[in-house]
Amino acid sequence: MSTIRYDKIRTVETGFNSAALNMAIDEALIESVGEVPILRIYGWRPAAVSIGYFQSMNEEVDITKCREIGVDIVRRLTGGGAVLHEYELTYSFISRRYPQNIVESYKWICDAIVISINRLGLDASFVPLNDIVIAGKKVSGNAQTRRKGVLLQHGTILLGVNVSKMFSVLKVPSEKLRDKIIKDVKERVTSLAGTTYDDMATSLKTSFAAKFEAKLISDTLSTEEISHARWLAERKYSNNEWNLRR
Amino acid sequence: MRKAHNIYKSEKLIRIMLEYDEIENTISSITISGDFFLYPEEALEILEANLVGKRLEKETLKQEIDNFLKDIEVYGFNSTSLTEAIVGCKT
Repeated sequence: MSTIRYDKIRTVETGFNSAALNMAIDEALIESVGEVPILRIYGWRPAAVSIGYFQSMNEEVDITKCREIGVDIVRRLTGGGAVLHEYELTYSFISRRYPQNIVESYKWICDAIVISINRLGLDASFVPLNDIVIAGKKVSGNAQTRRKGVLLQHGTILLGVNVSKMFSVLKVPSEKLRDKIIKDVKERVTSLAGTTYDDMATSLKTSFAAKFEAKLISDTLSTEEISHARWLAERKYSNNEWNLRR
Repeated sequence: MRKAHNIYKSEKLIRIMLEYDEIENTISSITISGDFFLYPEEALEILEANLVGKRLEKETLKQEIDNFLKDIEVYGFNSTSLTEAIVGCKT
């Protein structure tokens, strides 16, 4: 198990943004992170579907339906599955120092998420590779990438679930199995209903500080980070060339 | 040239879009997508490129994929399941 500790963690709360800007900020922070790791906390407005790096937008998402109901679409830098982001808190953790072993590094960061949920009086646990569950039901999905010597892990902590809306924008592998798939998801996914975004954010920050024995440095995005993120949002994460790549 | 696709359930879902030469039984183009994790991410495009021109048969493909996976970390499929997913496009 990793013994990496941090003296400080820079915390940045970027509020609620479009899908393109949210993913652009993550990439901008990969570029800008120094020796002090960054914990970013954010939400999505409007609601958005993100797909994994290796997924096909056309195969996974009903793009027309998303346009009709005002749901953003974006492809992530990270692998994994398609997610409807609406009632949740999303975090990103970006660091130059991390366990090289991938399974270990997921656990290393997810432990802080588990602590943050359990601080609210619940009984969450980590399930490799990348899930956090309560009573066997998924409450948080996480994904990471490593670029230029930097690890970025981002993930969702569900504060509510709307499975019907989820499957109005996500395609299913087999229409014949649609009802069964929806039933399965309802049985396998849960949320921290009743927990507010602000309470979750506070618990998350406290838990990262405790897990990594670090002092939190509350900060905002720098002018350069905002400028770079806006450029990436416009030139990359809003474009079909990126979003429809596979 | 024939187009084909397959959806294969391994630990994760693998989707294959394939064009192949029916006479030579070789792959002309291939796209592998799904909800898996692969590190480094860009390596998948190298695998796809390496598979072009290869015979669409299990032994050849599995050997190529095994070689590729030596230096790559994948969560969600292995060489056997990916081979099955690709060959399954023909059925």
